[in-house]
Amino acid sequence: MLYKILEKGIYKDFIKALISDYEFIGPKKKDKSEHDFVLIKDISELDTNYMRTTIPPAKKILFPPNEQLVAYELGENINVRSVVESSKKILFGINAWDINGMNFLDKFFTTDFIDENYVAKREKLLVIGMDSEPTETNFSPSMGAEYAKDGFDIYLTELKNRYFVRIATPKGNEIVENYTKTRDVSDEDFKEYDKYMDDYRMKFKLDVAIKSFYDDFESIYNDEEFWKRVAKDCYSCGSCNLVCPTCFCFNVKDDIELNLKSGKKIREWDSCMIPEYGLVAGGHNFRPDKENRLKQRYRCKLKTFIDKFGKYACVGCGRCIEACLAKINIAEDINSVKKEVSI
Amino acid sequence: MGFEAQVKKNKNTIYVPDIARITRIEYLSPTEKVFKIVFDDEEKRNSFSFKPGQFVELTLFGLGEAPFSIVSNPTNKDFFKLCIRNAGNISNALHRMVEGTKIGIRGPFGNGYFPYDKMKNHNVLLIAGGLGIAPLMSLIRYILHYREDYKEIMVIYGAVNPGSILFKNEIQYWSNRGDISLCLSVDNPDNKWTGEIGVCTKLIPRVDFPSNDTYIVVCGPPIMYRYVIYELEKKKFKPENIYLSLERRMECGVGKCNHCHIGDKLVCVDGPVFNLWEIRNLKEAL
Repeated sequence: MLYKILEKGIYKDFIKALISDYEFIGPKKKDKSEHDFVLIKDISELDTNYMRTTIPPAKKILFPPNEQLVAYELGENINVRSVVESSKKILFGINAWDINGMNFLDKFFTTDFIDENYVAKREKLLVIGMDSEPTETNFSPSMGAEYAKDGFDIYLTELKNRYFVRIATPKGNEIVENYTKTRDVSDEDFKEYDKYMDDYRMKFKLDVAIKSFYDDFESIYNDEEFWKRVAKDCYSCGSCNLVCPTCFCFNVKDDIELNLKSGKKIREWDSCMIPEYGLVAGGHNFRPDKENRLKQRYRCKLKTFIDKFGKYACVGCGRCIEACLAKINIAEDINSVKKEVSI
Repeated sequence: MGFEAQVKKNKNTIYVPDIARITRIEYLSPTEKVFKIVFDDEEKRNSFSFKPGQFVELTLFGLGEAPFSIVSNPTNKDFFKLCIRNAGNISNALHRMVEGTKIGIRGPFGNGYFPYDKMKNHNVLLIAGGLGIAPLMSLIRYILHYREDYKEIMVIYGAVNPGSILFKNEIQYWSNRGDISLCLSVDNPDNKWTGEIGVCTKLIPRVDFPSNDTYIVVCGPPIMYRYVIYELEKKKFKPENIYLSLERRMECGVGKCNHCHIGDKLVCVDGPVFNLWEIRNLKEAL
């Protein structure tokens, strides 16, 4: 890691130069309350003071809702080939918890079998991180995700009249050297940065009892009454999955052209909350009840990957809490697991 | 990023099937057919090998993909066979296919397989319910191929009625061999049926294999496992020697789509064969 200081006076020129030279994805105001990560053509479109993003930025760029995996031509001989789309991009203004969400997906898509459709996009993505204000549903500090240690190339932290720049990769360093001027970090800069981080962490108001969840979850696993109560209002709609920066479930389907001569395999996001998720041929459903599906979602987010990777598959962004039509609240549910068990 | 080093640039990604052909279709029952499959590419044909219990993902181009366990003997090198019931979208379409149809195959998948190597010099008890006989066929055929490596072998096979017993010719051949004991049972007998009647779990108390020298494999419909395990544990068979093949919905076969997720296990990469010790505390597994 390299630490540098970028003066605010030349920040805009730095961004302008990147926008003109690169496919530049950044936050743009969509309506009163939401921002979306889209292609930015002009610096005036860019608005880094965002709180809410519609769909997790990192995920949709690396793992699009619909993605072609395979193309084939039918005929005397069938011709099959892989389709891997990737282009050099800058992802600008992504916050720490979404970077950590991306770090989880990096690990996931490269474990056991390597998913080259994901990896190809990830390798060509240059990530410039920036803090954003947490919403009141955000509990990333509990999940250890409010600070990004890695997963980015450059991270800009806004201090008084300057940016504290963390450069994590040679690629990031090249960008900084080629596109702007920086100076070395002084003791005073470091002090102000530490102070900033302390203040920033204070902005997160929501705290969850995640430390004891690992064991508490097992002890409450068979308490059907509890899970029925938690999932009582669930519509099984899958909104929580759609907004999640770490959800990765997908379906693969074949799609053939009307001429019946060529076709493709496409993957599209799936949701573990919808009833058909566990349905197999012959009609047996391995997870027919909504309380079991919700329980499985919590297990996947908060326990499974502790065993597998030593990390949570939840970064505490709180998007699912806001997206849920039935007001199901993962933070409250984590706390009520603890409360239920400690009685 | 950190993972650049481990990325191997393959010609094809994990989602691209190899082209193969259905070279023979055998009719087993009104609902089951066996498909013999041969890869088009000679190199693929030579390099393809599998272990009993593993599965492949079969693509019908334009329709989609589904997982099926392999039923043929792993020692057969030029082809493999799948036994398929017409129960879903792909399997129903497969039943309408003719010999010569081109299909796509990915696999074999599954790190959990029937431990044919560990079973050597031990007794083997195989318990199948209904279509559960299909994944076991690969193991039974392998064991009979190397019969002298194993001690006593017993197959308990339960079916709904005499007409739905699969692999009848082969079962006839086993009973002629004399070195494999066979217990067939049907729920609904016809008037010609002379064998056992009722669910196959009823036959387990009669097994006289010593509990410390026996490997057991079980495959059947989800409802069957709990009862079979209950009977096996009464006989003091060790959970680490009991192997179960589990079925779940799969979209990818390579641990990515997550549909076959049970707790922290994925049926596609950690299974589909698990030993009971591994999953006895895994809620929702059985």
